[in-house]
Amino acid sequence: MKRYLLQRLLLLLPTLLGALTLVFFLIHLVPGDPIEVMLGETASAADKEELRRSLGLDRPLLAQYRSFLTGLVTADLGLSLSEQASVSALIRARFPATFQLTFCAMAVALLLSFSLAAMAARHRASWIDRAALLFSLLGLSLPNFWLGPMLMIVFAIQLGWTPVSGRGGLSHLVLPSLTLGLGMAAILTRILRAGLLQTIREDYVRTARAKGLSEARVWLKHTLRNALLPVITIVSLQFGGLLAGSIITETVFSWPGIGRLTVQAIQARDYPLVQGCVLVIATTYLLVNFLTDIFYRLADPRIHYGK
Amino acid sequence: MLINRRSSFSYFPLAVLLFLIGCRFSPEPEPRSNYLVVGIESNPLQLDPRYSTDANGVRIGGLIYNSLLRADERMRLQPELAERWTAPDDRTYLFDLRGDAKFHDGKPLTAEDVRYTYESILNPKSLSPKRGMLKPLDGIDVLGPHRVRFRLSAPHAPFLEQFTIGIVPEGSPGTETNTMPPPGSGPFMLESIDSGEKVTLKANPFYWEGKPSLSGLTFKVVPDALVRVLEFKKGVIGFMQNDIEPDVLPWLERNTQASVAAHQGTTSQYIGINLTHPILRQRKVRQALALAIDRDSIIRHVLKDNATPASGLLSPLNWAFDETVPQWPYNPQKAKRLLDEAGYPDPDGDGPQPRFRISFKTTNIDLRRRIAEAFKEQLAQVGIGLEIRSYEWGTFYNDVKNGNFHLFSLAWVGIVDPDIYFQLFHSDSVPPNGDNRGLYRNPEIDRLLEAGRATVDPARRKTIYHRVQNLLAEDLPYIPLWWWKNVVVQAPHVRGFVPYPDGEFISFKKVSLVSGPPTP
Repeated sequence: MKRYLLQRLLLLLPTLLGALTLVFFLIHLVPGDPIEVMLGETASAADKEELRRSLGLDRPLLAQYRSFLTGLVTADLGLSLSEQASVSALIRARFPATFQLTFCAMAVALLLSFSLAAMAARHRASWIDRAALLFSLLGLSLPNFWLGPMLMIVFAIQLGWTPVSGRGGLSHLVLPSLTLGLGMAAILTRILRAGLLQTIREDYVRTARAKGLSEARVWLKHTLRNALLPVITIVSLQFGGLLAGSIITETVFSWPGIGRLTVQAIQARDYPLVQGCVLVIATTYLLVNFLTDIFYRLADPRIHYGK
Repeated sequence: MLINRRSSFSYFPLAVLLFLIGCRFSPEPEPRSNYLVVGIESNPLQLDPRYSTDANGVRIGGLIYNSLLRADERMRLQPELAERWTAPDDRTYLFDLRGDAKFHDGKPLTAEDVRYTYESILNPKSLSPKRGMLKPLDGIDVLGPHRVRFRLSAPHAPFLEQFTIGIVPEGSPGTETNTMPPPGSGPFMLESIDSGEKVTLKANPFYWEGKPSLSGLTFKVVPDALVRVLEFKKGVIGFMQNDIEPDVLPWLERNTQASVAAHQGTTSQYIGINLTHPILRQRKVRQALALAIDRDSIIRHVLKDNATPASGLLSPLNWAFDETVPQWPYNPQKAKRLLDEAGYPDPDGDGPQPRFRISFKTTNIDLRRRIAEAFKEQLAQVGIGLEIRSYEWGTFYNDVKNGNFHLFSLAWVGIVDPDIYFQLFHSDSVPPNGDNRGLYRNPEIDRLLEAGRATVDPARRKTIYHRVQNLLAEDLPYIPLWWWKNVVVQAPHVRGFVPYPDGEFISFKKVSLVSGPPTP
């Protein structure tokens, strides 16, 4: 397993390079000119050309790509064209906000989905089960750009319990975490409930009961654990996606995270900033996937990697 | 395995818990007394006046930095740092600076700082976007600690506008080495910048006009227009200007104690036309387009009366505005007649077949798309088939810049000097040298615009630009639509804000809060 994990870890590098190369060429292919965004409409053609030359944007694309790779090796992500600040500094300032929101949203999703799925599976075909399915349906159907403002109107405006938007103390995390977490919880509840219902009929669960194990132990050790594998896949995919920045939720809640920064960079055709954001997003995603493989092994000892 | 499988698995929730406990949450922000929170749509990109070109950067920077001259609420240039200024001849400007102006770090503001500011913009290494606008400048002479002379290489009347650039201390580095803007001498000083969240300013206690009434200002970045309104309703935001959905304004008036007021602005919305298009190059077709658009109806129903029909780019607040310029009021019958005369009869009368089809490019912002739908509907009434193509801003702007359009709509923001016409309609201003994107060529207009630049006497310039406005209104290389109003929404405890036509925030220096709630 150690060897397998090492191989996986080494494979991350070409994957990352592939993603960055793809984005480098794609963002240069998209119509739009960062020089226009930087200089505005009143600058002369000569000034635009001079700035283009001084930023090296007049060089052939392959030469620019080489400089980009050199920068990567020396950990220099360059200067943001739109904000004239270091790309690393901008990302460092924004990433903690996204990290914080992701963890809290994930906590909401796990707490809700595990409780609801367990209750639904335990009381199958009862009103609890139907309520859990209804919750799941609603969670999947309500888009974040609608759910966010609705939560704001109810909890921040009508009840006055939480702030409307922005980043600050713990209370600022409640509504964006709920908005993001409810959608995830809906998916997880469905998958976990189905997994639990399938596992509960297995022979080893019947045997565990026959051995006289307590119901709690049967559920926690034999049923829940065996239903976890598909959940780990979904959680890791969602977790990676969220760390990459939940653009809509960050915009609705004025949350200064990496998602908003990426959109701003793309709109301004800020090539260094787009590449910096993609580097962080791709690295996070790959690392989360790598960790998922480890969790698979921990959750299911039958899984063997390599020899 | 290096670690025991069972123990590592059971430690995972504990690790997550420890992470969450260890996660550094910011404390709940304490309400700050006598600070006004202003809701803004986007992060200011640059505050340094030598570099700022984005609207919020310019407006917030205008509170931190003073300039030699500044436009007042009637768009007339008035002395600010200049105590007096004269123009001994048509290529020289002489300024006597106030002796009591100091930068926020306590250093007195002198003529050397003025010279440094302009020379640092002219330095090619500074990469300042304002360098091109200073091209007519031949040299700057410091004649004393508070006396400075600007020499131009040739008479260039619009250069006056360049004296509104904020002054920074001598030796201030450019943005390539410094991410924090240099100190200014304005009524507010920079307290903090939280990228993507807020910019906080505090009052300058030593401001030469006297300390502002407010202790400070917080510009809170709230990208979503609806959420800005909810923040206002909650009492967090006490002031908003523009970028508010027109549909929300009646709700705000009904459900909050907000004072909502709309004032004449200078932002001019227009339809750009590709004059190389075989149909659109015909003047009668362009006139028919102008007659077929019912501006009043769009302003009333879509914009909720937050605009006024425009006769041209210059608003009635501009000193060169000509109120006698002919307009093109809604007249579909006349539009049909002009199209018939131009050789485009309607093939099936009022049937579905159009006389011809053209495309209209706009951005993917909801309001812009709704306006485009209204155009489509109205042009269909006279038999013109309009195909709407909406794009993300970068793609849209790239197409406009490269002449890849039939029709498009954009707005010109912050027009002060009528020399804007040179940039838009002179035949030398065809991209990449200017913004004559429709490729308009008219020797008479070229001659007038050159004369307008070289003439310093305001009365003579006014006559020249009246002629320009009339010629363009007849020829219609673009279709003027409306001038946007500046919509100001403020909480009842905010007093003393004077709206500026270009949306400037400078009157915050006179704003006070009366027994209002503290704001976070």
